[in-house]
Amino acid sequence: MIGFMVRRVIQALVVVIGVLLLVFLLAHIIPGGFARAALGPRATKPQIAQFNRINGYNRPIPIQFWIYLKTLVWHHNLGYSYHQNQNVTNLIDERLPKTLVLVGISTVLALIVAIPLGILQVVRRNKPVDYVLTGASFVFYGTPSFLLGGLLILYFAVDIHLFSVSAPQGQTVGAIVSDPRALVLPELTLAAITIASFSRYMRSSMMEAMTEDYVRTARAKGAGPRRVLFVHALRNALIPIVTLLGLSIPAIVSGAVITETVFNYPGMGLLTFQAAQTTDVPLLLGTALVATLATVVGSFLADVMYAVIDPRIRYASR
Amino acid sequence: MFSVAAVAIAAALLLAACSSTTTPSSTSGQGTSVPTGGTPQSGGTATWAELPGSAPNFIFPFDPPGLFSVPNISQFQYLMYRPLYWFGSGTTPNLNLSLSLAKAPVYTNNSETITIDMVPYTWSNGETVTAQDVVFWMNMMHAEKNSFGAYVPGINAIPDDVTNVVATSPTEVTFTLSGQVNTNWYTYNNLSQVTPMPEAWDVTAAGATAGSGGCFSGAYGTAATDAKCTKVFDYLATEAGYNPSNPKAANNSFSTYATNPLWQVVDGPWHLTSFDSTGDVSMAPNPHYSGPVKPKLSKFEELPYTDESTEYNALLGGKLNVGYLPLANVPKATTNPEVVAEQDPRLSGFYLNEYYGWEFAYFPINFNSSGNSGAAGKIIAQLYFRQAMQTLVDQPAIIQKVFKGYGAPEYGPVPVLPVTSFLSSGEKTNPYPYDPTKAKNLLSSHGWKINAGGTDTCIKPGTASDECGAGIPAGTPLTFNMQFATGITTQTEAVNDEISSWDSVGIHIDETTSTFDTVIGNATACTPGPSCTWEFQDWAGSWVYSPDIYPSGEELFATGAVANYGSYTDTTDDANIKATDFTNATLDTYENYLAQQVPVIYLPDQVQSLTEIQNTMRGVTPQNPLSTITPENWYFVK
Repeated sequence: MIGFMVRRVIQALVVVIGVLLLVFLLAHIIPGGFARAALGPRATKPQIAQFNRINGYNRPIPIQFWIYLKTLVWHHNLGYSYHQNQNVTNLIDERLPKTLVLVGISTVLALIVAIPLGILQVVRRNKPVDYVLTGASFVFYGTPSFLLGGLLILYFAVDIHLFSVSAPQGQTVGAIVSDPRALVLPELTLAAITIASFSRYMRSSMMEAMTEDYVRTARAKGAGPRRVLFVHALRNALIPIVTLLGLSIPAIVSGAVITETVFNYPGMGLLTFQAAQTTDVPLLLGTALVATLATVVGSFLADVMYAVIDPRIRYASR
Repeated sequence: MFSVAAVAIAAALLLAACSSTTTPSSTSGQGTSVPTGGTPQSGGTATWAELPGSAPNFIFPFDPPGLFSVPNISQFQYLMYRPLYWFGSGTTPNLNLSLSLAKAPVYTNNSETITIDMVPYTWSNGETVTAQDVVFWMNMMHAEKNSFGAYVPGINAIPDDVTNVVATSPTEVTFTLSGQVNTNWYTYNNLSQVTPMPEAWDVTAAGATAGSGGCFSGAYGTAATDAKCTKVFDYLATEAGYNPSNPKAANNSFSTYATNPLWQVVDGPWHLTSFDSTGDVSMAPNPHYSGPVKPKLSKFEELPYTDESTEYNALLGGKLNVGYLPLANVPKATTNPEVVAEQDPRLSGFYLNEYYGWEFAYFPINFNSSGNSGAAGKIIAQLYFRQAMQTLVDQPAIIQKVFKGYGAPEYGPVPVLPVTSFLSSGEKTNPYPYDPTKAKNLLSSHGWKINAGGTDTCIKPGTASDECGAGIPAGTPLTFNMQFATGITTQTEAVNDEISSWDSVGIHIDETTSTFDTVIGNATACTPGPSCTWEFQDWAGSWVYSPDIYPSGEELFATGAVANYGSYTDTTDDANIKATDFTNATLDTYENYLAQQVPVIYLPDQVQSLTEIQNTMRGVTPQNPLSTITPENWYFVK
């Protein structure tokens, strides 16, 4: 296991540096330069020269990348966003907790609802309940989040004034969770789509587990339906969900661009979108780093969880 | 300008759409009907929607280039720190002395000396706004001109042409210039940049004694004063979040905007009570405000929105008192750009008021382009070709189809709307109205074989009056690359309309799209050569005349000007611009000439804002064409 973890950490480092390098290079091949983009149409040549000098954009790209990595590793500094007039680290520090709250809650909610739903569909397989839930999950799975969010706003916020049109606008996590009325609609939007997806996976993996030999053996040994379902089948059926959960971590950390936009929620997703729109290179690199780290950590955690859930899986050193 | 009947019809429609509890009247504010009456109420909180991506992010009014913006200046800093001269009177961008900190500047000695008398204003710390506060600004401007977003080098404007600034008394400051200037140009484009700063800001560390920085009282233009001012600027800019010498240094200034004692010294009607990095701003009235209009509201809030539909939802949900109607939600096109055709029926608690920005829409064409095997710039340099291009821009159709009638045509560098005295006779009507036949004739009579829907080719090379022009060989195709910015649906539709029109006479456009920043980043002035290949760059934006409010062309159309991206050069134009800046010539000759010459492609300009105002709110109209907001005028009625 230790050997596996060492290998994964090395792989992770390579992936992170590779992604950063790719984003760095892509951003630098955009013609026109950052200076005019950052300083605006009235920028003068001296101002552009000063901007390039202060930011090191007048140096060769490999040296710029090396300086970026050095500053990142030794000073934990992700640079400065001209468009936002803030340090990238500050921006991420502010936005990340907001996104963790929004997407994290919806993911937990989705798990709590989707797993029982998937099991229920297996238990009531090919019965009206199964058909209804299958149909509903297809509808929600196929509904774009901007449409679902918009419809929820129009009905629950504009027409019957039950919830707020916008997500909580507080600066801190405390301020956000202290306004649950404003959190309901964005959470519902995100959760509905995730539930649809998770419940389909849960249903199919549970169905598959129910046909396995060990389930038949358990039944032959006299295990009751409840024990077969929850003790023997469920644990194995959860493996695909663990994979999904691991792969959800990047989304939990990187944010949900569309839902954040629809509900006016300034989280990581919106930050990334704005950085891309404005060619804000330091901010793009910062958000890419966060997303990459989340992806690496997510897939690593999924691997570890496999071993925890399924004792047959072992990561032995070769 | 517009018929009374049209106004009355629009008023009737608006009345029908609104279910106001107050009594609307036919009072005209920029052509639309606004409600009047009701009993004014003291207090209350007004919420106002920021445009998407337009959150303020800099509090220090000496804005560096990347932070010099309308959201920072006109919609944030001006509420707290008043400029020396206020622009915006009714719906015009004219000088408004009633809101200025000084009387009209007096030009003497062949306009080389300017005497400015301050009017009584006080800072919130009890000190008077004095002539020395103006000197403080000028000292900083001299020292840090390259750090100031409005500074334009090479045109002998402020501060380059200021040889001395002296406070001759606490209420009088005298500027000495290096030569004669056009007084309107100087007031509107140079003095417009000055914002008096309090002595409390003349510090280089927290808690330092006011004035200890040495910039406030230093002699203008000396090396010693410059050195001190640089240190003061570095400190103040860093306190505002931007460290000029090390932008990457850790900084958490936004969290201190509302508490930092520096920023609480204000001479405007408001002071900041909260600010966050997303642009959520709260202000309270400055109890010491000494200006003419005291705030009636107890709180003013600026709210950020991620996009137009989010803002629209907030309007529907009742979270805003003043917002805007996205063009996509306009229920009915208008036939008169200054008259609202119909209010959105779902916004019956609001009334709609439009305003047009002090700007003109255009895109640059590269006279030096080496594209099209070196011929692109040579073709663009031909007046007949530019006239053909302009003749094919169907401005009325774009306004009606794309902007739903809420747009103004542009015939030259000065906007048609808002209506001002700056508009010359030659710009009141279109010198090149839409006429494909005329465009076709212009090309065919200059040696081009027309291939409508395809690509025209030059069949008569040469420089005679019926030939293609210098440097355009036989067989040259009439084809251009055009990069335009995506993201604004209406602008994309307008560009597609233009391309289709040009294509109809055989001017072939290879279009590519990119972000605003990339398009504008590519539109740099260049000299002919392998790297100078861009031809048309349309970033879907306009040139806003602010803080250079006088619509002269020294920044845009003079040879080598900072924003002359297409490298247009013309000796008559240069002489006209010089006359408008440094003699008392009016703008007419300059404007008429450029309307005829088509140095850029003029485009119709979309309405600046279709502002939605709660029926119980007064004082929001008329709206300032420079997009400056004045919530001290706003109040609720019952």
